[in-house]
Amino acid sequence: MEELRLTPKDAPTIPIEAEVISPDIIAGKRLQDVKGLTVYVGNTTRTLGDFFDVEGDIAEKATDQLIVVEGAIPHVKYIGAEMTAGRIVIKGDVGMHVGAQMSGGEIIVEGSASDWVGAEMKGGLLRIKGNAGNQLGAAYRGSSDGMTGGCIVVGGDVGIEMGAFMRRGMLIVQGDVGPFAGVHMNGGEIFIFGRAARRVGAEAKGNGGFIACFGGVEALLPTYIYDTTYRPTFMKLYLRQLRDELGIEEAEKFLDAPFKRYRGDIAVGGNSEILIVEEQ
Amino acid sequence: MSFIVNGVEIEDTFAEGFSMWGSRIIITAKNRKWANIAATNMTGFATSVISCDCEAAIERDVPPEETPDGRPGTAVMVFGFSRKRLAEPMLNRIGQCVLTCPTTAIYNGLPEEEADAMLDVGKSMRFFGDGFQVKMRMNDGWLGRRRYWRIPVMEGEFLVEDKFGAKRAVAGGNFLVMGVTEDIALEASERAIDAIHTVPGVITPFPGGLCRSGSKLGSRYTFLKASTNTPFCPAIKHTLTDSQVPEGANSVIEVVINGLDFDSVKAAMAAGVKAAVEVEGVRKITAVNFGGKLGKFQIHLKDCLGGA
Repeated sequence: MEELRLTPKDAPTIPIEAEVISPDIIAGKRLQDVKGLTVYVGNTTRTLGDFFDVEGDIAEKATDQLIVVEGAIPHVKYIGAEMTAGRIVIKGDVGMHVGAQMSGGEIIVEGSASDWVGAEMKGGLLRIKGNAGNQLGAAYRGSSDGMTGGCIVVGGDVGIEMGAFMRRGMLIVQGDVGPFAGVHMNGGEIFIFGRAARRVGAEAKGNGGFIACFGGVEALLPTYIYDTTYRPTFMKLYLRQLRDELGIEEAEKFLDAPFKRYRGDIAVGGNSEILIVEEQ
Repeated sequence: MSFIVNGVEIEDTFAEGFSMWGSRIIITAKNRKWANIAATNMTGFATSVISCDCEAAIERDVPPEETPDGRPGTAVMVFGFSRKRLAEPMLNRIGQCVLTCPTTAIYNGLPEEEADAMLDVGKSMRFFGDGFQVKMRMNDGWLGRRRYWRIPVMEGEFLVEDKFGAKRAVAGGNFLVMGVTEDIALEASERAIDAIHTVPGVITPFPGGLCRSGSKLGSRYTFLKASTNTPFCPAIKHTLTDSQVPEGANSVIEVVINGLDFDSVKAAMAAGVKAAVEVEGVRKITAVNFGGKLGKFQIHLKDCLGGA
């Protein structure tokens, strides 16, 4: 892969919208053209070169492009939004909407991320090593579909409404999650290794969707019905994938764990599942 | 015409193989005992399409590290004359012998990139869930998309993959082991089977891999479409004018091989013959064919043995 390095310069007092930091947009351009790409700061337009030192190599195709941001950029939004291929590595914190609506490629954030990470994501892999804010992988307001594919892994904690209106894809949180995880979800898989706050799975419908809770649940909605405690074979497939493909080692200890299966949310006639590891 | 391998006469002839559709499935269970029970049940009464709905057998044990769920597995291969006549017995046999067997799950063992077609076996099986089945979608948008069905059963939950790969395959690879005694023919054939099972992609669907009756098309009786291969029956070798049992041979056993491709069957025949001729007292090895008029494939013993 060709590596392009972006080193942050002085940050403005208001956020920068920089969806141009994407392999799809950068690939095939000259270095000078990349420095001149438009970014938005409030109601003004500036260039990428105003806020980043840009150096390195540029690939012909997005699939061969690696973009490395050499530092924290919590004031920069929409990095990798709508990207389809390639790779972005951010060596620090990042702002809102990182990887929103992306459909391919990989984004790695070595710090924490703000809200709307991977909102309405369609494909690809998005990994946040620190914490993530609210509405991780959620649908934007007014939209009926949240995540429809891809995988988001968060090493730390996540805020409220994670996976709202999720349809497909996979969300993995190694820390705790805030209220309303999986609200309105209708498909997709959520794995929570920390503690899930109240109203998890509220108004979830089903369509094969489930929320697996490995670190306990603060309170389960009364509209989820307990069915059984069992060791589902299908969970082994997922846990092996988390361990082998994503390097999530704590998945290993739950391979043979019993799960309590709850079905709901019957408030909306739902047939979704919440699977909670039985304490051993 | 014949040639000699390890002092044993090998007739310079060929096995006549037929084109069939083949598939491979992986059955897993809590332990190897239950995986093998399911596989054994599923492959019962599946020796030959002369009278069975398909030809099927266990290919090999699959170690836990190679199965999708990390449990011990058994690879089973099934063969039928068309995609439809492969899918139907697969569905029936999985439904009656694997779905019913405690702790089992079943996965496609022939990936789409190696298959000529994908059969909707799991998709059809889901109806056993009577509406309570759950579609399991894995890897959408980031790894290769996989589909499974989770079917509630009294013991827990049965997991079956949505589609199973099938490909145009080769059935009817064979050779005959002619021994001085029954014990010699059996021992040589058993060794052949052990050697054949080291070759991936093949099965030996007859009991223990061996067919002692052989078979020939038709019979004296109009109601019987196949009968024992009388020209190779030692007990009547001097009664028949066209007996093909050589002097000194008193027992003949046929080894029948089906495989996912021509080369696998050929490799299996080679491994089997080489193992069989190691046994002292094997009088001759030959193969069964119909003069090349019926089967699409001719697998020559001489080619198998590297033109020995």
